[in-house]
Amino acid sequence: MRFSSARKNPAMKLLALTSSLLISTTLLLSACTSDSGATQVALERAQATAAAAIAERNAASERANEAEDRAAAAEASTNRLATIQNRGKITCATGNDTPGFHSLDASGNSVGFDVDLCRAVAAAILSDADAVEFRFTDLAERGPALQSGEIDLMNLTTTWTSNRDINWGNFAPVMFYDGQGFMTRKDLGIESALELDGAAICVTSGTTTELNLADYIRQHNLDAETTVFEQSEVAFDAYGSGQCDAFTTDRSGLASLLTEFPNPEDHVILPEIISEEPLTPVVPHGDEAWFDIVKIVMAGIIYAEAYGIDSSNVDQVAASDNIKAKRLLGSEGDFGQEALGIKKTFMQDVIKQVGNYGEIYERNLGTDGIGLPRKGRNDLWINGGQIYAAPLR
Amino acid sequence: MQSILYPGGIPLWRNVVFIQWAIQIVSAVVVIAIVSGFIVNVANEIQDREIPFGFSFLDEAAQIPIGESVIQYEPSNSYLYGFTVAALNTIKASVLGVITATILGIIIGVSRLSRNWLLSRIALVYIETFRNIPLLIQLLFWFLIILELPNVREGYVFFDAFYLNNSGFYLPWASPLGGFWPWAILSIAGLIAAIFAFNFLSKREIETGQPSYPIVAGFAIFILVTIIGLLIFSPLDIVVPERQEGPFGRLQGGARLTGSFFALLIGLVVYTSAFIAEIVRAGIQAVNRGQTEAARSLGLNTNAGLRYVIFPQALRVIIPPLISQYLNLTKNSSLAAAIGYPDLVSVTTTMTQIAPAISLIGMVMVTYLAMSLFYSLVGNIYNRITRYAGVG
Repeated sequence: MRFSSARKNPAMKLLALTSSLLISTTLLLSACTSDSGATQVALERAQATAAAAIAERNAASERANEAEDRAAAAEASTNRLATIQNRGKITCATGNDTPGFHSLDASGNSVGFDVDLCRAVAAAILSDADAVEFRFTDLAERGPALQSGEIDLMNLTTTWTSNRDINWGNFAPVMFYDGQGFMTRKDLGIESALELDGAAICVTSGTTTELNLADYIRQHNLDAETTVFEQSEVAFDAYGSGQCDAFTTDRSGLASLLTEFPNPEDHVILPEIISEEPLTPVVPHGDEAWFDIVKIVMAGIIYAEAYGIDSSNVDQVAASDNIKAKRLLGSEGDFGQEALGIKKTFMQDVIKQVGNYGEIYERNLGTDGIGLPRKGRNDLWINGGQIYAAPLR
Repeated sequence: MQSILYPGGIPLWRNVVFIQWAIQIVSAVVVIAIVSGFIVNVANEIQDREIPFGFSFLDEAAQIPIGESVIQYEPSNSYLYGFTVAALNTIKASVLGVITATILGIIIGVSRLSRNWLLSRIALVYIETFRNIPLLIQLLFWFLIILELPNVREGYVFFDAFYLNNSGFYLPWASPLGGFWPWAILSIAGLIAAIFAFNFLSKREIETGQPSYPIVAGFAIFILVTIIGLLIFSPLDIVVPERQEGPFGRLQGGARLTGSFFALLIGLVVYTSAFIAEIVRAGIQAVNRGQTEAARSLGLNTNAGLRYVIFPQALRVIIPPLISQYLNLTKNSSLAAAIGYPDLVSVTTTMTQIAPAISLIGMVMVTYLAMSLFYSLVGNIYNRITRYAGVG
């Protein structure tokens, strides 16, 4: 008797385990599969499962709890400014591997064009440009990081595309106009990207560059092989060793990569620009006021340059009789600070601690940085460029 | 059955069958509640945050590049096809890795027990080094070593047919012609004949004691039949890699193990074989010493004793943890993205640029689960075959 029950035991255990696994798998699948494929159907099924599960539980009190939880969650995601002020820091997703845009200096501090915008926003709402917690995010993790809403602002050489605008978050005005190009070794004697037939091309994953590359290869019938790397450092190494004949990314990235090579003159950037890459800061969906704050800070640094306000003359200008400049610095009038709930003189903090657009550009990308000439699209509109923002009034 | 302790029959709360069922049902309910809790949460978040979700994208053109594939792939193929290509890349790494790691692991595990001091120390150093360094670091290490090879234009060439450079190892490969299937069928027939001959001859050897060379005879039959088939049907076309025209001088034709795949395979095999070696050692040491002595006293030498007495018993201890190493190897292959091998994770990460991430990650999870369950299944079946009759 005892022996037979002991022998039965594992079999029954197995049976019960299998059936419970089966049940949960079915539940999962019923939520995940969708024969028509439409989002709605999948959602409805998941909702139906959800409803069944809730009904199983002790109804009334549980529901009340849930409603409270939801309300709290909604509060957190719709009043990001208050959350940040309580926290005393903004969480900014950026990187540490692209000199000029985002990298670490000798003492380990984040520096760069992208980093400075995070600092500007921190200076605007917390009066302290250092009140930033940087999250070094993989290019491939940018979408999920924004969708989860755990970061306040992302500034990570992110190209604004329609799909990302819909799926990732709200895209602020363009900070830098870029485009994808190719780099090859000079000794290959290539003069145009159209001659890349038969080449091996390295690219970093999780970026639009690999999609643009695939389009370009298909469009021009090039028989090129592509190798996709997760991290740009490894892709650089592969290109540097000659495993790949060409490397492709945004031309700004190529320029910043060239500064890392021991002999930059051995490499050449091909003339073709195969994409439009407007690099843009992004905030998560769901908080319009927070989005407006980021936009207004960006407009502030752009107009500060246009009005000739820089970190060295803020106080003089604030006391001068230049009406537009005084409004920008908050010593006269209001262009929305009150409605947004931020300090009237926030632009003084921003410009003193971080500087205007031109200063940020020169320090990181221009002559003091990686040496990308500013002439063209990235100049102010008054100089014939495309850097422009909503007027501050 | 009448119980002495409970003359009125066993009460419900002491009834073994009832207790077992009750525990199963309670745990099933708990599991279902937790799982549905997760689903509710995900469904709510998907709705609240307007995260895209669904599977209709699978029919659309994937538009992404995949560097290497087992089956032909173009960016104009569908997402589903691209996903399959990526899954096959993972399977390729996993299967080749498992086979190689097992062979290497057994060799090192046995060496670790060798009486040869130098050999056992070398095995010890190998095991302790490679299982204690994070796999990702090892993968990058092997990859950087491969990058140190000369590039494709300057690399090593052997016999004008084998090329070794930092883009990979290129070798001649056979592609099937019209006569392939008749040849394949003939070879299989030859294999069956060889097995029959092997069985017959081994039986004869055991029964009569006359040396009959079953292994030699079996191989000879198979190879002879295969070669005759090759001569009759000429089923295969040997393709030798050739250098392309133009400035890049890449190689085309034949087979190629890319640098990334090479690094991945070496990394996975070296790392996993260190664990397998320890498992093999543990398995052998778990067999009672008396068995070795018994084998000796029967007149078996060390090798024969290992092969016929020790190993069959050790296998029963080895198989279960070995399967879990196979699962680890398969899952670890997802680190391939770091060194440019287009495995499942790497490719789907690229896909999430356009396609809904949650759906894709769900698909990746299900695929890995299916692969792991398959290995478990095979392992458990094998385990059942090899266990002691009448136990368990």
